[in-house]
Amino acid sequence: MRLARNSGPSLLRLLAGALLVVAGSAAFAQFHSGSYSSTKADTIEQTVSPLTSSDANYSVSPFASVAPKLAEGEGLAETETFCATCHSTRYITMQPPLPAATWEAEVNKMIKTFAAPIPEATAKKITSYLQTHYTPETRKQ
Amino acid sequence: MEPLRRGVSRRNALKLLSAVGGGLAIARCFGADPAVAQEMPPSKAIEPFTGPGQNPHWNSVGPYVSEPQKAPLILLTDRPVQLETPRSYFQTAFTPNDAFYVRWHLSEIPNRVDLAEWKLKIEGNVNKPLALSLSELMEKFKPVSIAAVNQCSGNSRSRFQPRVPGGQWGNGAMGNAMWTGVRLRDLLDAAGVKQGSVQVQFQGLETGPGPKGSGSNVFLKSLELTDPVLDEAVVAYLMNGEPIPMLNGFPARLVVPGYFATYWMKCLTWIRVLSAADENFWMKTGYRVPETPRGSTTPEAMKAGGVKTVPITRMPVRSFLVSPDVGSKMPAGMSITLRGIAFSGYGKIVKVEISEDGAKSWREAQMGEDHGAYSFRTWEARWTPKTPGNYTVAVRAADEKGNVQPDEPVWNPGGYLWNKIEKQEFAVGRAD
Repeated sequence: MRLARNSGPSLLRLLAGALLVVAGSAAFAQFHSGSYSSTKADTIEQTVSPLTSSDANYSVSPFASVAPKLAEGEGLAETETFCATCHSTRYITMQPPLPAATWEAEVNKMIKTFAAPIPEATAKKITSYLQTHYTPETRKQ
Repeated sequence: MEPLRRGVSRRNALKLLSAVGGGLAIARCFGADPAVAQEMPPSKAIEPFTGPGQNPHWNSVGPYVSEPQKAPLILLTDRPVQLETPRSYFQTAFTPNDAFYVRWHLSEIPNRVDLAEWKLKIEGNVNKPLALSLSELMEKFKPVSIAAVNQCSGNSRSRFQPRVPGGQWGNGAMGNAMWTGVRLRDLLDAAGVKQGSVQVQFQGLETGPGPKGSGSNVFLKSLELTDPVLDEAVVAYLMNGEPIPMLNGFPARLVVPGYFATYWMKCLTWIRVLSAADENFWMKTGYRVPETPRGSTTPEAMKAGGVKTVPITRMPVRSFLVSPDVGSKMPAGMSITLRGIAFSGYGKIVKVEISEDGAKSWREAQMGEDHGAYSFRTWEARWTPKTPGNYTVAVRAADEKGNVQPDEPVWNPGGYLWNKIEKQEFAVGRAD
């Protein structure tokens, strides 16, 4: 739970978190997982501990969600949609500028090794987007 | 006021300042002597990424983020959560829980654990499968404590040249804690490992949206049953005498002293004795290193193929200069203390040496308290730079097995096992 003065949005966040949990594959009785806040890019909030009680439940507030701003361009929508199924697009911006061949290998790894369900044409678009904006020659942000 | 530096007349300084426009106004605002203000380099913001060269900073370059139960830490990624510990937290032998780095592989990680439901299962090829509550774990088995360093296999990956994809850690994907819990061996003995067993597999509450059988579905790691490290492994429920933060593996975490953190399963829930070798992605493909000296190879050799790999295991010897941090210019003749830490996954640190001339000549540093073979060992050394100039301070450690930190880099495609000698530039200025 968030700071009391944010109780409105925090309720929404809890709901969003609950939806994520339902959508996720890990809704066992013994734990709840995968709850992230819906915070927008670059607004990093402080968290406070949930209310304490003497039952056997131990919980923390949703984890921060701080999506980076990706470069504008052809393929951005596909990149945000498909890559973010499993992980935040910070996995892209965190990397150093990588050669075009490395980006191609990364996209292939996500599909072949990690079984990401990305149609071939979309994968090509994503690869091309990453090569256009995130190589040593092209990266600006 | 007299000009503070010889050779820079006040008039010249003013001339220079007027050339840079607002400089003078700013200098006046802060009540500074213009002669000093003129010397100040403009402050430069750190770029949001580094590369294609080496990351030149001690830490990675992400923004700070506050996650539950944590102090503000350096953000690598938010989903799943990966956070790096800032340099200043390594001034002590034990890393505070709230500052301890965080590294998850998959996005579905626990926000809530119900200890009325949660049980640690010891199952698979055993005579008597067990399901233990946290209270049974705490009460039915003898507690033991061990100080041990937990370091990500990819710590310092941002030093690699050429750079490799993966978490772009600086040096802060490590921490040392006093871990208290139950010996893994006691749990295996209680369940009774059957004849013909080969490995023991560990699974926590870390899952992802990927299909079953893929590496993006569940994180699993295994150790050989013949590995002597099993005798030192502990299922910890206390970290530095406190419950483990959720992001570091509440309610129980495997501690594998000397081994990289990939085996230290967080939110440990299943201990599974296997009768056949674990073929899952995280063993067969991930976290493997070339079977070469220091696990080092070249991009060319990788491209050519045939580089044999083995699962990563022990951490090579490392040492760090923690303080003074960058940006401290030293006045000549002033005696200061260099401080840092050292550790090795192969055993006790027996010597830490420092160099003030870029790793040409060395002298011994004084080591701090010994908290055990797998703990951080603090060190310090007095240093009095006598003449102005630029100095490169370097630090290297040696462990009881005779391993000494080398001055050569490591390269492998995973970005693992970095342990090159650390160096830092210092400017020493005149004191008059």
